[in-house]
Amino acid sequence: MKRYSILTLLIFSTAVLMHGCTDDGPLGPDPDDFDRSAILTNWADNLIVPAYQNFVADAEALESAAADFSANPAADELLALRNAFETAYLSFQKVSMYEIGPAMQVGAQGINLRNYLNSYPSDTAQIVENVSLNDINLDLPSQLDAQGFPALDYLLYGAAGSEAEILALYSEGADAPLYRSYLQTLSARIAGLAGNVLNAWETGYRDEFTDNSGNGANASIDMMVNDYIFYYEKWLRAGKVGIPAGVFSGTPLPTHVEALYHGSFSRQLALEALSAVQDFFNGNHVNGTGSGESLNSYLDYLDSRRDGSQLSVLINSQFESARSELESLQQNFADQVENDNIRMLNAYDELQKNVVFMKVDMLQALNISVDYVDADGD
Amino acid sequence: MNDNNTEVAIDEPEVYEFTRNGSSTVSFSGQTARILMAEELISTMMDFDGATESLLLQMYRNRDASGGNADPFSNPELNSETKSIKEKVAASEDYFSSNASESVQIRNEFESWISGQVSEVFPNENTLASPGQAGQIADGTSVRYVNAQGLEYNQMVTKSLIGALMTDQMLNNYLSSSVLDAGTNREDNDNEVLVDGTSYTTMEHKWDEAYGYLFGAASNQADPLTELGSADSFLDKYLGRVENDDDFAGIAEEIFNAFKRGRAAIVAGAYDVRDEQAEIIRQRISEIIGIRAVFYLESAKTILEGNSPDYGAIFHDLSEAYGFIYSLQFTRVPGSDEPYFTGSEVQSFLDRMLGDGPNGLWDLTPETLDALSDDIAAPFNFSIEEAAG
Repeated sequence: MKRYSILTLLIFSTAVLMHGCTDDGPLGPDPDDFDRSAILTNWADNLIVPAYQNFVADAEALESAAADFSANPAADELLALRNAFETAYLSFQKVSMYEIGPAMQVGAQGINLRNYLNSYPSDTAQIVENVSLNDINLDLPSQLDAQGFPALDYLLYGAAGSEAEILALYSEGADAPLYRSYLQTLSARIAGLAGNVLNAWETGYRDEFTDNSGNGANASIDMMVNDYIFYYEKWLRAGKVGIPAGVFSGTPLPTHVEALYHGSFSRQLALEALSAVQDFFNGNHVNGTGSGESLNSYLDYLDSRRDGSQLSVLINSQFESARSELESLQQNFADQVENDNIRMLNAYDELQKNVVFMKVDMLQALNISVDYVDADGD
Repeated sequence: MNDNNTEVAIDEPEVYEFTRNGSSTVSFSGQTARILMAEELISTMMDFDGATESLLLQMYRNRDASGGNADPFSNPELNSETKSIKEKVAASEDYFSSNASESVQIRNEFESWISGQVSEVFPNENTLASPGQAGQIADGTSVRYVNAQGLEYNQMVTKSLIGALMTDQMLNNYLSSSVLDAGTNREDNDNEVLVDGTSYTTMEHKWDEAYGYLFGAASNQADPLTELGSADSFLDKYLGRVENDDDFAGIAEEIFNAFKRGRAAIVAGAYDVRDEQAEIIRQRISEIIGIRAVFYLESAKTILEGNSPDYGAIFHDLSEAYGFIYSLQFTRVPGSDEPYFTGSEVQSFLDRMLGDGPNGLWDLTPETLDALSDDIAAPFNFSIEEAAG
């Protein structure tokens, strides 16, 4: 099924591309004349590094809340831990698109931060086995879906039937210390991995990133834009919406939603991710209300248009359309796909339109090539 | 009856349905059984907790180690079969009836891959793979299990069976005049002399057995294109993949129609029409293998040349490529008795693939991948760009 969709997308993209060419106005400025280092500096100093700083702080608060709960597994501490979990998970949505440089080097070959922190659906049997083993190598690829936020989601909301039973899991019985220990291990690992990435940005990679301001496949801007669109296409559009809606499988998959066990968090996570990608597009600073050079200003500098309209305006307007579709959904996407999947599919369609605008029109305007391929999946 | 097709009316049905006196004359249950056996073998190769070397080898042989009866399959119907995968690996009349040594070597190679999965990969289930070290490696969020050279044995077995079992039996055995016309087959077919206890002639049955290696696992065996690509992990699946590449759209219908028309030609006694259809099938089925070999080589190359290449994804592609390249020796150039590449040419491709350094796929360069794609695509009627999808 996956191949059909990719094929359809390709056909559509090609049609759009050919159509776009004929409608383009006179050739504007050369993409290479733009001051790319200004974009890179804004991204690094006002978006990426502050977002990681915020995330690391929130992840450390989560680690600390897990320690508090372990010391005293009672209702108040569980509530505080759940709140810290929500805060950190939302905060993660603002760094998840930055899979460049250190975030790609946190683990074994081919494993990046996002895969360790947010692979879902989680493997609950593996999680329970890990709890009992109390000594597991979380670097292994086979452990990706037994750690990170999805595993904490299960341990904090899904490991037993009610809040009282969940509390009992951590406070009564022979396994309670093991459950408390695994909670702490997972929380500490999130904070540790994120801290490593931030540290690498702050001790050298920031300069490497901003200095690499040329054009070409290995230039920072080309790599970052590719990573950004890949994230938007695969993790936001497909992962958060399309896969649960059954776009790729043919039937809805309610167990594949983000934050399955929390029960009312998946919409908020998706909206946070959408805001993060839109803010990145517009160069909006993570802290405060400022903004700087961005894909938006770059496209405007090039006077990029599609059917006479400014491409940057079209993309922002499409982000808004997607947002209003997402806002119309239930808080729990599992309920949404089970009760009224058409709305979920509508949201997918609105997200998909920006894949075309960005992956085809924007990349063409910026003279950037797509550097990723779709895996076969078998 | 005569061989001149212009004078013979061929009654070609809409779907693959043929009857005599109200009974179906189509039968290929043995092919369906072997596809299902192969499915169970390849899925059990990934059962780290349940599988043993002896169980996997029993699935391959449908015999125990001393040649006695074995019941390795979870499907009892397969256990009651007297057939096995192994007996039909590298076993076609045209290629292997007088080439026992190569046949034995190929059959044993499958056993060495199956054994390697248990002896090399299973013990390293919880080890990170690295150059020279078997273990697990991430492919996105999937986990792949590779040997010390970066190869997945389960992929090698799956994709190599496409050539050594399905393609070899189809192109070089059942569609061959040496099989279709063996003994008194033509005379019997002309005179409707039926196989004892059945409603079909021997020739009809042989042709159906070829069809069965492509569509034997389809839920609708008479009209299999409706769910093309979902019936099995072998030819049906990859015909589906190739069909879904715009450059090759229509190939599935072409193959299906050739099977149907050839079968109808047998009923009509139009043997030249039959043989023309066999050549179409030979060319197209061979192309599927060539296209997929190049597709996976090129896919791996694209990832390898990207930033921070995902080695798990590369190794997965190349393990599939390995099997499709292995399968090339069972293809057939239409109008000839030769494969597109001989066994020794195939071996040299595989040696090159693993030969850029001491650690096999870990050392492979994009230049070697390009050269392999060039050499493999050369004799076929498709370009690397078309195959790359």
